[in-house]
Amino acid sequence: MERTQRPLRADEPTSLRAFLDHHRDTFRWKCSGLSQAQLARTLPPSEMTLGGMMKHLAVVEQSWFEDDFVGGGLMPPFDTVDWEADPDWEWHTARDDTPEELFALLDEARRRADAVLDRALALDGVGLDGLSAAEHPHGQGHFSLRWILLHMIEEYARHNGHADLIRESIDGQTGH
Amino acid sequence: MSATLVSVGGMTQSFDKAFDKDSRAEAPIRAEEVTALRGFLDYHRDTLRWKCSGLTQEQLAQVHEPSTMTLGGMMKHLALNEVGWFGQTLAGEPYPPPFDGIDWDADPDWEWRTARDDSPADQWALYDECVRRADAAIDQALARGGLDAESVQQSSSQGAFSLRWILLHMIEEYARHNGQADLIRESIDGATGE
Repeated sequence: MERTQRPLRADEPTSLRAFLDHHRDTFRWKCSGLSQAQLARTLPPSEMTLGGMMKHLAVVEQSWFEDDFVGGGLMPPFDTVDWEADPDWEWHTARDDTPEELFALLDEARRRADAVLDRALALDGVGLDGLSAAEHPHGQGHFSLRWILLHMIEEYARHNGHADLIRESIDGQTGH
Repeated sequence: MSATLVSVGGMTQSFDKAFDKDSRAEAPIRAEEVTALRGFLDYHRDTLRWKCSGLTQEQLAQVHEPSTMTLGGMMKHLALNEVGWFGQTLAGEPYPPPFDGIDWDADPDWEWRTARDDSPADQWALYDECVRRADAAIDQALARGGLDAESVQQSSSQGAFSLRWILLHMIEEYARHNGQADLIRESIDGATGE
């Protein structure tokens, strides 16, 4: 599959978005062509699954961009979950979702996140120094959009590292 | 923040067991671009150190099948990446030992394959030395042209790399390997955590 290229010489917002898109695309590639049962497979002793990771990254996109940065809350189905009672809800419920449902959820979360980024990084937007509506839970104040984008790149890349080993254990597919 | 190196009886020893999750460098949540990028890079360097700390030579050589990766191989691979991207590509410096005498065409996975023969102290010392060289090359490039500074060596078809690109690439490279390290470490002794 064709993944977003990372231009070798570009300005900061172009570079950050290209690296994020590259890892979003890499993650889709790692999860593609698998059945619902394969997406629910683990590589013990870890309990992570690719399906759970898809749902997790969908809620992470939502949580950082639309909820924390904009202050707009979470989209369905994440808006009605009791996260305090069930903090790993997205990981353990993914096995009940079809691959099509998981990809659709991830796509919708990405589309909404990109809409937030388009507004913030427009000529009249707040830019990369723009601050989140939400504050750091341990008293460090608001997050810059720069930090959120860099965090999302490392978040996806770290999970792609998990996905590398899990995918290899499912059907032998490797590659970065 | 790195493993503490002290000289004992002429031998350099690495007291890496003290390296834990909470002593990692962190990227400030509001900062200008250079500080943010270097902060995330340092965070992932320290995360690798944490994931590899407190293990014996045998544990550093353990695989989590079916993958053939090891944590020791990963440390040596990332040490090579530090001097490869920042030293060789960005600054045009030759590889330092032991990477300078390797026939990479004949043995492209040399660093992964040979790590099992190195003691943990040697692995940590090599890693720290490569990070030190990389940081010096980053300092020089920033002074020369900031994050738009172009690499001395060019890519095969797209011209020079900007320092910005190399820093972002190293963050993704480390984060990806740290994800693999999460699962390998958990399979060795059950240790987990972001």
